[in-house]
Amino acid sequence: MNKTKTTGVCEESIYSNIFKTNVKSIRNYLYFKFGNEERANDMTQDAFIKLWENCADVPPEKAKSFLYTVANNASLNQIAHQKIVLNYAKNNVNTDKTNLSPEFLFEEEQFKNKLEKAISNLTESQRIAFLMHRIEGKKYAEIAEILKISVKAVEKRIHGALLYLRKEIEQIK
Amino acid sequence: MFSNKMNTMEDNYELAKWLAGEMTETELKAFQKTPEYNTYVRIADYSSLLHTPTFDQDKMYQKVVTSEKKTKKVIQLNQSLIFKIAASLLLFIGIGYSYVVFSTTSEIASNGEKTIFLLPDNSEVVLNSGSEIKYNKWNWNTHRKLNLTGEAYFEVAKGKKFEVETNLGTVTVLGTHFNVKARDKRFDVTCYEGLVKVNFKDQSIVITHGESVTFENEMQLDGNVNSSKPEWVDGDLVFNNEKINAIIKELNRHYNTTIELKNISSNQLFTGSIPSENLEEALEILASSYHLQTKKINSNTIILEAVNVSK
Repeated sequence: MNKTKTTGVCEESIYSNIFKTNVKSIRNYLYFKFGNEERANDMTQDAFIKLWENCADVPPEKAKSFLYTVANNASLNQIAHQKIVLNYAKNNVNTDKTNLSPEFLFEEEQFKNKLEKAISNLTESQRIAFLMHRIEGKKYAEIAEILKISVKAVEKRIHGALLYLRKEIEQIK
Repeated sequence: MFSNKMNTMEDNYELAKWLAGEMTETELKAFQKTPEYNTYVRIADYSSLLHTPTFDQDKMYQKVVTSEKKTKKVIQLNQSLIFKIAASLLLFIGIGYSYVVFSTTSEIASNGEKTIFLLPDNSEVVLNSGSEIKYNKWNWNTHRKLNLTGEAYFEVAKGKKFEVETNLGTVTVLGTHFNVKARDKRFDVTCYEGLVKVNFKDQSIVITHGESVTFENEMQLDGNVNSSKPEWVDGDLVFNNEKINAIIKELNRHYNTTIELKNISSNQLFTGSIPSENLEEALEILASSYHLQTKKINSNTIILEAVNVSK
């Protein structure tokens, strides 16, 4: 018992640190996966509750992997994946907007819409890898570790995603 | 021109390399000249501007840490308790099982009784009074080997080598009926069917049905029998040139009595049959053969004393 206490993550300072460093990334991962904000939040919370419940048995270095595994297992139980709805680009503010011509702004808006649509049409695995890189700024190695695949496989997904996105966008044009 | 190059690029996931900034300068320059380059740059730029909807991390943290911990802790404790109970149960079952399977099995016939039992291969054993057999059940069919103290009659089922070890010698058979008696210094083996190999110290002899061999004090005594099984199995005690004190011991085992000899040389030999169901008659036979007086101290203690014959 003593041993698990010292190696686990039951200490609140350790646990809250793990929570802070991982909560957003896990929640976004689930969001990229399902495109459903509420479900992603619930599942994230469940994963952390599970870690809290098993805090004595999980050493700190394993906590991250534990969280993703729980999140993944839970998502296997989810029935139908929703078609991802990406409405988040609206929040972005392009700081250089004022210097640009209305034509350019219009064209930019169009491009953004096409990109959103194209992203939501990516395969799930391509979308997750691509958005983890673009939005989360994660390195391929880290993505590979989270998804439990090789770096090469991550590169393949990213490459495939870029290829598909370009084709979709140019085609829609 | 570049489309050819693109094919090889696809194999190497060059677009992924470019996005991660891992392209070499020459690769990058070639890539920049392609018509697709501009679109890729815009995809990369705009996708990095995307954001996911915000959520309340602190609220989630509070929910996680406060509500669930207590109930779960109890469950966890129970779980570990259940696991402990299950583990110890399994351990006990395991120990019990291996005890049953691997431990030595003993069959004992105490004084005054006979025990008949079957070995795992259905070989039949009749244990004479005051005898014990030890063997391992778990590998019986590959190692038919048992340890005998005292006397026993075997009807061995056909099969692999069957060995009887005693402190005096070893008897090896392949499937026969035979009797082994190892008492004190005397080792008797009688074969009623088939062939039996007897090992006594350095000697090794083979006897066939109707033959018996006895080793006593370095002496070898061959004999013949007419019966199909030892007499003691069915009631009588038959002796062939046995010392009187050995006979008394046999009687003591059979009747569970304490018979003592007084004033008689223990080296006198006896050949004959004594009933094993009738103590009075058995004593009568001995008394008349050796001119002994029977003194009954109580129902179990008897003294046989040489009659003072002045002759």
